[in-house]
Amino acid sequence: MANHDDFKTRLKIAKKRLKISSEDQGNNQNSSSMGSAFKLSTDLVAHVAVGTIIGFILDSWFDTKPWLIIIFFFLGSVAGILNVIKTAKQMQEKDKF
Amino acid sequence: MTTNPMHQFAVYKLGPEIKIAGIDLSFTNASLFMLLSAVSICGVLFLGTKEKKIIPDRFQLISELFYNFIAKMINDTAGSKAKPYFPFIFSLFMFVLFCNMLGMLPYSFTVTSHIIVTLIMAIFIFFAVTIIGFLKHGFGYLKLFVPSGVPVVLLPLITVIEIISYLSRPVSLSVRLFANMMAGHTMLKVFGGFVISLGVLGGWLPLGFSVALTGLEILVAFLQAYVFAILTCIYLNDALNLHH
Repeated sequence: MANHDDFKTRLKIAKKRLKISSEDQGNNQNSSSMGSAFKLSTDLVAHVAVGTIIGFILDSWFDTKPWLIIIFFFLGSVAGILNVIKTAKQMQEKDKF
Repeated sequence: MTTNPMHQFAVYKLGPEIKIAGIDLSFTNASLFMLLSAVSICGVLFLGTKEKKIIPDRFQLISELFYNFIAKMINDTAGSKAKPYFPFIFSLFMFVLFCNMLGMLPYSFTVTSHIIVTLIMAIFIFFAVTIIGFLKHGFGYLKLFVPSGVPVVLLPLITVIEIISYLSRPVSLSVRLFANMMAGHTMLKVFGGFVISLGVLGGWLPLGFSVALTGLEILVAFLQAYVFAILTCIYLNDALNLHH
């Protein structure tokens, strides 16, 4: 019976240790979520900017002055929003564990 | 007294002008601080690995901390296949971190607050990841732009969107680091200027703000280095483990 008690206390200690380490990870996630906030905010802007730049370059190649820049501006916005949705989905999946 | 908050970002030559084949290669304050950060990284790691004690001293502790941090980050985000790229990501993280942190010292110069520095690093990462992807998967790497499970009608649109999103990687990577560092340091200088102009009577409030902002800036300096490294890992993961 003593052996059994010994096992119980050991299990308790191990569980406590596990809890502490998972709390540590929670702390770690706090800084990484701030990191992904930085990522999301700049990604949204960068996608729109890159889309517009591509439209501008293609416009000067094909001589279709205003049209491609307008189309690619909207494509860039769509890409930015899609990217934010994708990242948010990944973050949600991570939270499940 | 210089009250211009942008004055701290000025690049000036130290020593004589060096010109090789029409390219200005003079030693500037930016080069000095890049050199300083490289030397201090080497110094910390040298002191940390000189004596391998069981109970580590400060330098050994901090080197082991950095090593574990990066090793864990690579393992979590890019998997075991990315192990060979550890030295690259480690040096990248350390360089960005030390440049940011050295920039926090008064009278110093922040190398990463110049977009040319961050853009060069981001473009290098972009090309390196693209080349690695093509080497590992051949032309199958182009599947990255064609997500599976998309209706054929939408495929051209989605492909264009994916290409825009791939090309915006170096832009967002470099602009994030540069903008955060520059905005933070400008803000610090502006609040510092308020302290001087408001004098003994009204200067205490902005002084408190600059103390708080300094703490925030140290956090941002670390966080930006972390984000830079973790995004490199994520891009590397896309190149190494091609899946959707």
